[in-house]
Amino acid sequence: MTELEAARYSMAFSLGFHIIFAAIGMTMPFFMSIAHYKYLKTKNSEYLDLTKMWMKGVAVLFAVGAVSGTVLSFELGLLWPGFMKYAGPIIGMPFSWEGTAFFLEAVAIGLFLYGWDRMHPWVHWAAGLVVGVSGFASGIFVVAANSWMNSPQGFEIVDGVITSVDPIKAMFNPAWLHQSMHMQVAALQAVGFGVAGIHAYFLLKARKTEINKKAFIIAMLIGSGSSLVQPLIGHFAAQRVAVLQPAKLAAMEGHYETSTRAPLYIGGIPNDEKEVMEYGIPIPGALSFLAFNDIDAEVIGLDQFPKEERPPTAVVHISFQIMVMIGSLLALVSTLFFYFLFIKKNIPSLFYKLAIVTSPLGFIAIEAGWITTEVGRQPWIIYEFMKVGEALTPVAGMQYHFFLFLFLYLGLGFLTFKLLKRMVNHYV
Amino acid sequence: MYDASVFVLLFFVAASIVLYVVLGGADYGAGIIELLPIRNSEIRRKQREIVNRAMGPVWEANHMWLVIIVVILFMGFPVIFQNVMVSLHIPIVAVLIGIVARGSVFTFRHYEVELTPTRAKAYTISFGLSSLWTSFWLGVTAGSLFRGLISTQSADFYTLYVAPWFGLFPLSLGFFTTSIFSFLAAIFLVGESQDIEMKKYFVARAWKTNLFVIGTGAVVFLSASIEGYELMNNFFKNPLAVLAFILANISFFVLWFKLQKRRSFYTRLIAAAQVSFILIGWFAMHWPNALKLDGIYLSFFNSTAPEPVLNQLIIALLLGSCFIFPSLFFLIRTFKMEKKES
Repeated sequence: MTELEAARYSMAFSLGFHIIFAAIGMTMPFFMSIAHYKYLKTKNSEYLDLTKMWMKGVAVLFAVGAVSGTVLSFELGLLWPGFMKYAGPIIGMPFSWEGTAFFLEAVAIGLFLYGWDRMHPWVHWAAGLVVGVSGFASGIFVVAANSWMNSPQGFEIVDGVITSVDPIKAMFNPAWLHQSMHMQVAALQAVGFGVAGIHAYFLLKARKTEINKKAFIIAMLIGSGSSLVQPLIGHFAAQRVAVLQPAKLAAMEGHYETSTRAPLYIGGIPNDEKEVMEYGIPIPGALSFLAFNDIDAEVIGLDQFPKEERPPTAVVHISFQIMVMIGSLLALVSTLFFYFLFIKKNIPSLFYKLAIVTSPLGFIAIEAGWITTEVGRQPWIIYEFMKVGEALTPVAGMQYHFFLFLFLYLGLGFLTFKLLKRMVNHYV
Repeated sequence: MYDASVFVLLFFVAASIVLYVVLGGADYGAGIIELLPIRNSEIRRKQREIVNRAMGPVWEANHMWLVIIVVILFMGFPVIFQNVMVSLHIPIVAVLIGIVARGSVFTFRHYEVELTPTRAKAYTISFGLSSLWTSFWLGVTAGSLFRGLISTQSADFYTLYVAPWFGLFPLSLGFFTTSIFSFLAAIFLVGESQDIEMKKYFVARAWKTNLFVIGTGAVVFLSASIEGYELMNNFFKNPLAVLAFILANISFFVLWFKLQKRRSFYTRLIAAAQVSFILIGWFAMHWPNALKLDGIYLSFFNSTAPEPVLNQLIIALLLGSCFIFPSLFFLIRTFKMEKKES
């Protein structure tokens, strides 16, 4: 492992770990607020039990998300000081908003967790809602900062010196909207399906049926609703990537040769040496159509980029395919759910079994999506301005940094999992 | 105009540091106090419950100040941020490991103990050790900034990344930080306990930790003079630092007087003021420098981001404050000011 690889793996692993807890921390408070709202409106104590059940999960998962997020804000500088020295002032704006939102979230979660019967019930309810709203906002801000790395703007370089910095313009760069929409909806999907799966499991065991059923419906409504919107957002995102980062799109699709009526490959393994797609099923013209709404449009291939400026095609293509496949599957399951819920008005037990199987898929898709966008940007840390290698810290021994955080997070992940399992078995 | 922007930002940095040290410090200190040996298991249990109740609603917010400090530094003072992150990589990683461990252990303990009370002890020990560890390394990091051993001109790993922080002064500042944090926590917890026995217990803890503060404080000055680091000299040359030092010491006496009467509101205020005086003295002594790099002081004023960035950051911080301070006030009012009614 070289120093650069070790630093990249450290960052990838820290982000990959944090993103799971961040996704939960910024969406699950909404689940909790819905149940809480139903309780305050109906006074049905099952909703109260459900609120408290979800609240405990949120508390534990939020704590892990908060500490791993704090680590990330430092790791930007610890691993990539060359990047932060230039980019800090430019992308600090979304980070300072993220900091504010994160702060509000921390205050609100304190109020909500410990504030039962210490304030007016509706004020208490609002505190829970603020946890969700500010968490959701902080997610948008962080993704806006990341999107700047994909489509940097809001500065000029004159003789190697950065001038005319405009943090607002940098924040609202051309990639911020599609990236943050895609991410936030993905979080709703993943957590919706994730939570629904747990409750489906207990429904099949016929434990606390009434509560679990309510929980299942709330979680599935959020998961399914977002899963039906996501393909549209994903399509919009891909079209933006086609314009903003053609190399990334080419790697996602394993598209080596610039061509009109470009084919879309289903499956397949890209071979970077021979520059061909192997074992894939091509659909002629489909890529041109998806990227530019025209089957005869020209799609830039990897051949337009020097070899040292291409992302590793196989990783990007395969993770992209995983994400798309899961996205399509979840959309299908969502359609089924709405069919059973609204038309059949009865959810068969087979569907609960299906929900258990699909439970982890949204999280896998989130990881795959982040691998796609991050690896797809390589070798750049700031697209077409700075390469990852130039940003690397001079501190030697990044391997130790990597293994340290690997074991720390594996240990923490293991403990979190054990505790949650015990909590779920006890409360759900 | 430019200087004014830097002043405003430095005010935010200083205020966040003070708030982090006072609020986050009491939080770390609570963990350290729980680590101190107790023979009576009933008191241990009560202590754990008081810490849980006192820190539970506020600990997340207490640690947000650190995130704010980091964001202001990397957006407003990128050169300083970059140099600190490179040269002090090792102590900062140590701090981060501690933050991860203690934040999760504290929350896990709360939910774990509800399910399996027998696990309380193991969690309390881990919480205490990680609190001690984190505050120690925070002190070490702070102690390395102006010591003059941060260097970028060497090929040797030890000189570049170990020597800046590995020495008597930073290490003793680490111990001083742990003592002052536990002192803050003891004072803070006096007011959090309902029964008189626990109040007495925490007052005793405050006395003991106060002795630690005086002891480790003396070691800090001693180690500075052994290292030939001109702490004393700089200190006495700076009237504001001396004034802050005197005020910090006077407040000790007032504090003990008030503590005898167990007036928790005033004792907290005074303890917080005392720690703030120490920090103000520290800032004053080094003003306007952020660190000493390759033997030269690096001032905040000549390592800033371009002016429009600073101004936008100030706007963001002011707007952010409009959200943060009212909500924080509401949080404190809800959990810390209830006793007036009873």
